[in-house]
Amino acid sequence: MLTQREIISTLEMLRNEHLDVRTVTLGVNLLDCAGGGLPQVQRRVAERLLGVAGNLVPVCDRIGQKYGIPVVNKRIAVSPLAVVGAALAPEELVDLARTLDTVAREVRVDFIGGFSALVEKGLARGDRALIDAIPEALTVTSRVCASVNVASTRAGINMDAVLRMGRTVKRAAELTAERDGVACTKLCVFANIPEDIPFMAGAYLGIGEADAVINVGVSGPGVVKKAIDRALQADPAMDLGHLSELIKKTSYRVTRVGELIGREVAESLGIRFGVVDLSLAPTPNVGDSVGEIFQSLGLLAIGVPGTTAALALLNDAVKKGGAFASSRVGGLSGAFIPVSEDTNISEAARNGHLCLEKLEAITSVCSVGLDMVAIPGDTTAETISAIIADEMAIGVTNNKTTAARLIPVPGKKAGDQAFFGGLMGQSTIIPVNNGAGDNAFIRRGGLIPAPIHSLRN
Amino acid sequence: MSKAILSILGRDRPGIVAAVSRVLCEHNCNIENVSQTMLQTEFAGIFIVSMPSGTGAGDLQRALESQLLPLALTVLTKPCEPGEQSCPAKACEPFVITTRGPDRKGLVADISEVIARHGVNITNLQAMFKGGDDPGDNIMIYEVDVPQAADPQALAADLRARAEALRLDLILQHRNIFEALHRI
Repeated sequence: MLTQREIISTLEMLRNEHLDVRTVTLGVNLLDCAGGGLPQVQRRVAERLLGVAGNLVPVCDRIGQKYGIPVVNKRIAVSPLAVVGAALAPEELVDLARTLDTVAREVRVDFIGGFSALVEKGLARGDRALIDAIPEALTVTSRVCASVNVASTRAGINMDAVLRMGRTVKRAAELTAERDGVACTKLCVFANIPEDIPFMAGAYLGIGEADAVINVGVSGPGVVKKAIDRALQADPAMDLGHLSELIKKTSYRVTRVGELIGREVAESLGIRFGVVDLSLAPTPNVGDSVGEIFQSLGLLAIGVPGTTAALALLNDAVKKGGAFASSRVGGLSGAFIPVSEDTNISEAARNGHLCLEKLEAITSVCSVGLDMVAIPGDTTAETISAIIADEMAIGVTNNKTTAARLIPVPGKKAGDQAFFGGLMGQSTIIPVNNGAGDNAFIRRGGLIPAPIHSLRN
Repeated sequence: MSKAILSILGRDRPGIVAAVSRVLCEHNCNIENVSQTMLQTEFAGIFIVSMPSGTGAGDLQRALESQLLPLALTVLTKPCEPGEQSCPAKACEPFVITTRGPDRKGLVADISEVIARHGVNITNLQAMFKGGDDPGDNIMIYEVDVPQAADPQALAADLRARAEALRLDLILQHRNIFEALHRI
């Protein structure tokens, strides 16, 4: 018999605290679709995706309804297209992106990730073609997401690729200038990219993965915030050790929901269940914010002194609770600080509490990166590359994933508002300090070697 | 060996279970299952007991009445026939229906009518009506067994339609979600 408290608290989480499963992402292996000309690749890719993913959305909706827990986003991640389409020219890869977009629309997923290249140690012909295709591919499609891994702890940082990505980001922004550079919201540059991320824009299916797999991204910043608020109301003197314990327990609950639903979706589709990504993913809705958690913990806003320590506590507690709740953990499993996607964080940027330097600092304690950061449109490609390089260095040296999703908003300057719409949200453009001036360092290219602690064998 | 089922009702006070079980012990009855609950100030208990040969439900009823009537407790004893479960575990899926909304006459009757119409058995019902329009003050929680042959979507649609007419916020969820969230 269930207790009244168990039932009422579940309903509270659902009705008032935005408890949901943020994404069920179906990974589909397309490696055997390679070969032949573009038409053959397009046909094989479309057939494969329609065959494997045709039932994804109805099954997620049915299972979400069964448990009364919405599966907010249904997505697809495919093998890196730089491998699948290694023989194709950039304009052909743009056409392949169109095919992905059409299929995504047909099976009603909101994003399809995997327009990706893995170039941490060097750029092959197919990688260059794919990176060249990214700006246009993200302009002519609405659901395709791109990611490029330019660094790893084992390989170091490919500075040639970093330089190229600065230009790519800049070009993607220019091509979508009338929409505030929205193409850049679908492009992530990574260090140590995991092979099983369910979240966008970084999701792709790793080379070492099976034919198909279901990965789940949980959510729950609202649930964590409300739990903290309730506990502090009952005991205003509660210390951080106890708050950490509370977050851990709450994270356990949220993760169990993701595990339950992910496993059932996988079973219904006859596909292996992969991982749960333990990340508190916010949305622009009030009450569904990671930024608000910092305020509940007692900070004026995210970005003020104390933020890095608070994030370290939060992230560690989320992982500990989540790891116990799930049998297989993977993906990013770190706090997301996506500036434009979280109304509270965006507000902190507007008020000047949160600056680029602080955002970079907190990525060292496991925010996943500089995520959805709108910067002035006149930021040069080289400066963007330099910001990316700094972020990659944090990931490589700390043996963790970091990423940069920067949007140089064309025609706008620091303090202006950028509007991306929907889940991508809106944000005040934050200044890039000391960005002007020559940067010969970035132009030197080559590889920054892997750190000494990469020699682990 | 035959079985009897007895129900005890009355104002709650210390010593009720002790008094009942003492009588059962004196008659060499073995208690197989007990469930007791309290609603506000009232006690209700159900006992299933196995009786030695030669003892009948009528004997127990007389003995219990003589001991419990002075305590203002009402007793009903009847023979317990072995039978089939209303819904064998394998053939059913456990769901929970929860409603919140303004109090009014006939809420339980209206909702349970829909549940019954779909051949769904209620295994546990908790309801609390403090009256008034505050949804948090008026809650019904039905734990139900939905036969696999039944159509949960049709049940959900009918329940939602009825709830809407009653201005109730209703949600139907598989029981596993509560276990996942609250139990290890």
